[in-house]
Amino acid sequence: MISLDPLEQRFLAHVRGGAEFPRAWCAQGRVDSDIGLSIYANAYSARLCEALESDHPVLAAYLGDALWAEFCSGYIGAHPSRVRSLRHFGAQVPSWLAQQKSFADYPAIAELAAFERALLDVFDSADGGRGDWSELQSLDPAAWPGLRLKFHPSVRLLPTTTNAVEIWRALKDTQSPPAAGASSVPARLLWRDRERISRFRPVEADELVALRSLLSEQRNFADSCEQLAVTRAADEVPALALGFLRQWLDEGIISQLDIASDGAPAPR
Amino acid sequence: MIECVDSARASTPEARASGVRPWHGYGLGLRTEHFDAVLNEKPDVDWFEIISENFMVAGGKPRHYLDEIRARYPLAMHGVSLSIGSTDPLDLDYLHELKQLARQVEPIWISDHLCWTGNGGINSHDLLPLPYTEEAIAHVVSRIGEVQDFLGREILIENVSTYVSFANAEMEEAAFLSEIARRSGCRILLDVNNIYVSSRNHGFDADAYVAVLPAEKIWQIHLAGHSDYGDYVIDTHDHPVRDEVWALYARTLERIGQVTTMIERDDHIPALAELVAELDHARRIGESVLQPARAACA
Ligand SMILES: [Fe+2]
Repeated sequence: MISLDPLEQRFLAHVRGGAEFPRAWCAQGRVDSDIGLSIYANAYSARLCEALESDHPVLAAYLGDALWAEFCSGYIGAHPSRVRSLRHFGAQVPSWLAQQKSFADYPAIAELAAFERALLDVFDSADGGRGDWSELQSLDPAAWPGLRLKFHPSVRLLPTTTNAVEIWRALKDTQSPPAAGASSVPARLLWRDRERISRFRPVEADELVALRSLLSEQRNFADSCEQLAVTRAADEVPALALGFLRQWLDEGIISQLDIASDGAPAPR
Repeated sequence: MIECVDSARASTPEARASGVRPWHGYGLGLRTEHFDAVLNEKPDVDWFEIISENFMVAGGKPRHYLDEIRARYPLAMHGVSLSIGSTDPLDLDYLHELKQLARQVEPIWISDHLCWTGNGGINSHDLLPLPYTEEAIAHVVSRIGEVQDFLGREILIENVSTYVSFANAEMEEAAFLSEIARRSGCRILLDVNNIYVSSRNHGFDADAYVAVLPAEKIWQIHLAGHSDYGDYVIDTHDHPVRDEVWALYARTLERIGQVTTMIERDDHIPALAELVAELDHARRIGESVLQPARAACA
């Protein structure tokens, strides 16, 4: 008698990729067991392809039917799902694309995928507070150097070397995409706004320096000003940094202004 | 068997403990496409069923709408990842998330499927068939017990559509499901469409299937559409409920009495109003079948 574990193993191997499932293990019902097994095998790949397409509609349009099918079967074979929700099945899509010879020669493809995944993350990442300008104004200026920022959990900083976002935008508007090329800006910032609408915008070189320091490396305000001073004249830096802070607070991408973490809290 | 149950009383903890089937009326599956319509149109739907996994996210719109809709409607939590029949260990992280979600949602109940979804850590994201053996019963019953102990409540287990049956089966599916419900104490979520689909694929009598089940354990009914390919039938949830399934639903209610019912639609999702109209059809069947019985009770 066939016990449960080998039956499941063989059945799943068959469903995933055609390994043989012994026909003698199937009862002959009204539907032939070959047809029954193929219904499961077809549903397996169809469901996973569908999940990838719902996460990456623009990538699918960009690749076209044949390449998209090649991508789906390659990815599904390389990364069988180990997650409980299909929401996360495609988590490795950008890195996988970046490593595959046939796709890696066109880096816009992996960047397009990374952009779509960032949008997904922005959509359902954790909620958080929204700091505002008046809070910053109420801080004692003496405390500013030690200021650290807690960004809203939805914020994603995405470096861009190609024009993947321009390609995304054109295809989203059902226009023909521009030829693949270099990015006009070094990064994009994505976040979910106060009305829960996903937003993104370009990030220029100076702001990227400030974001790397304050967001990615979680350094304090003084450190980020020092970073800015590497490429900017020292007397330009305070206004520049303050301008970024103002913009971020207005956009609602800062959850919290934290001045206590460098030691004694500054007097207010 | 016809029961006359006061719906207000039936939902109390005492009633649950006594095993009396609660009555929550007619519901719909809550789908992303309808979030705004549910809030704006305030449809005449008694409750909604959520797919638990869809709300196991940190925040954003899904959680926002969940809170808003929960404030207006009772919800049931229906999962697809419990994999109760898998020989893999139970996924404790999943159970923690399920319990956490239940704490927030306070669902009328929590359900999942009589199937397995993965093995060796790989998830097929499909509801795969079990062999109807004593070994599988013992395995599933002990896991349902663990899940119920962990969640601190009985769960509902649903019959799935199947396309393959196994040579080592020692019993029919209805006996398998009945025995699991009896031994584990779980309730049954009876998917009438799935009975129909499997009865066509495997050549069994759908009414005889219902007759075998312990009626008092059937706490919820699913209705859905399928695709009929002549030689076989696939459970696609992309059509309205078909006439054969409405007919089986009516005969099922005649046999077992009033049961909380909902319609599932997962593909080609129409406007909410269309599903509400379809649900009214279920309501009319329920009322017409049960009217004579109610008169007899009075
Ligand atoms: Fe169902």
